[in-house]
Amino acid sequence: MRNMTIKLGFLLLLPVLAVVLVACAQTASMAARHPVEVEGWPVCSECHTDGRAAMDHTADFGKRHKFYAQQNQQACGICHKESFCSDCHANKDELKPSDKYKDSPEMSLPHRGDYLNQHKIDGKINPAACFPCHGRQNNERCKACHR
Amino acid sequence: MRNQSRLPIFRYGPLAIRTVFTVVAVLLSSLVIPATSSAVSLTGESSTYLQSRQTGDGTKELPLYEYLNFSVSDLGKESISFQFGGWLRYELKNGDADHRTTNDLSYAYLSYRNSVANTMVNVGRILVFEGVASDRVDGVYVKTDLKHNFGLSAYGGMPAETGTDLAGNKNIYGTRLSYQSPGLYQIGLSYLKEEKNSEQFRKEEGVDLWVKPVAKVELMGKSRYNAINSAWSDHSYFLVLGPFSKLRLSTEATQINYKDYFTGTTSSVFDLSKSSIDPNDKVRILGEEAAFKATDTVSVSLDYKAYTYEIAGKASYYGGKIAYSSARTVGAGLSLHKMAGETNKLKYDEYRIYGFRKIGHTEVTVDALDVKYAEAINDVKDAYSLTLAAAYEISPSMKLGADVEYSKNPDFDKDLRTMIKLTYLFDTAKTGNKAAAQGAPKAGTIQQAMAAPLTEQGKPKEGN
Repeated sequence: MRNMTIKLGFLLLLPVLAVVLVACAQTASMAARHPVEVEGWPVCSECHTDGRAAMDHTADFGKRHKFYAQQNQQACGICHKESFCSDCHANKDELKPSDKYKDSPEMSLPHRGDYLNQHKIDGKINPAACFPCHGRQNNERCKACHR
Repeated sequence: MRNQSRLPIFRYGPLAIRTVFTVVAVLLSSLVIPATSSAVSLTGESSTYLQSRQTGDGTKELPLYEYLNFSVSDLGKESISFQFGGWLRYELKNGDADHRTTNDLSYAYLSYRNSVANTMVNVGRILVFEGVASDRVDGVYVKTDLKHNFGLSAYGGMPAETGTDLAGNKNIYGTRLSYQSPGLYQIGLSYLKEEKNSEQFRKEEGVDLWVKPVAKVELMGKSRYNAINSAWSDHSYFLVLGPFSKLRLSTEATQINYKDYFTGTTSSVFDLSKSSIDPNDKVRILGEEAAFKATDTVSVSLDYKAYTYEIAGKASYYGGKIAYSSARTVGAGLSLHKMAGETNKLKYDEYRIYGFRKIGHTEVTVDALDVKYAEAINDVKDAYSLTLAAAYEISPSMKLGADVEYSKNPDFDKDLRTMIKLTYLFDTAKTGNKAAAQGAPKAGTIQQAMAAPLTEQGKPKEGN
């Protein structure tokens, strides 16, 4: 019965795919890599006037970057390699990002110093801040205490 | 518990993944060592870490980590590429045979990009950020622009998660439909469903929004609906104003309903019924940050965040920082923050001062962090750590670094950790065969610069 459902699902998907292909825009795709070499941190608004102009990497961009990524991950990929994301957005990493980049103290990275004790306070103040990274991923070490 | 992914490679565990690493090494060798004129290009980075550390029970450990990521582009056609990222750990000093090694595949997928409509198909282990989804999936991800400024994406497969004890089959799938007026707004509707053992585990619907009605005003955010509980789980929005001369204002407004937000977790940590946090609580967070760029090298910022709970009372977090950075060769920063929870147990002051200097091929860094708890933990109120780090650029593609961290905190009277780090960059596309053998990518390109995480000033640090 389940196999039949899956087969039916695929069959129903075919016309949907056909509609999507017909409805696809014919505009050129954005570049896979940024075509112009940029020195230093990007001020996208210097050249772009569309939505990309909002992606100036200002000091507070780190706090807001998730909103841009959820709407247009491809734009991030023009400049950032996938490893840039996985340095922090890890599945079950053992090294904290701040341990990997101790030689870069100016980076805005979480969990510096004695975070083992600090997290007991931060976790009570705003447990939702822990959830995106540790709710379903990178939580094996949590189990050492949270059984 | 290990990842229960269904892809054969993961099912067979560490041995299979080590085999993949071996194959990867062979692939790298075959591509890099011979002076081939193939159009295929390979870029990537190897980072090796040797860390000396001590666990809470006094056991000394000496783990060796290898992080490898690379991209093989122009496979047959310019539009096909392969992306890989993963790591291995081998414990040199301690641990039985079962726990001596571990590893993880962060991502590994074949990607096709069409020259029109931003059509993209990724197959393998992929990281999906689409509306309500922020998930690692072993499966397929498809995205395309449609006519009239609509866009569509869809994904499906097995969720790659950690720490789940739930048996049985599992799958995840979802989609996002968007509409935009380029430069003015984009709105998206998204849906995600995850099942475990043929039962609903997560069912989320969401609206995401980005609007820039006039220059210097930008609003963005997301609302998520828990379709299993039939309730909104969270709303999170940012309003950014500026820059006005040298001032930029950023306002955050968030509301989270714990009962509907902490669902679909694979960790008992977030089972609030087992914690001191009331699972029926709701929190509203209002935050404001004012960033002022005093000069080309000095920036000052003040931030304040107010937490208002329906049950637990109130809390606030506020402070400021001043940072100096000149030509990416010298920099320093000072920050002071206060966490003020409802009780003394939820209060601390945080002080941080750091500095770095690059002289020729050598970088030196010092970083001190002090946290003063209002109420002692294990009879300790003052926790501090001091880090000294140095790195030497052996060549444009190779850097050797070391750091020492000394700390005192409620768990350790004296804790000394050291780490040695070797990074190696390779890029056959930009440098040609001769340079590829030396692993020397061109300096100063945005791709290379942005391979490093952002600094607090949003500036990638040279050499990472």
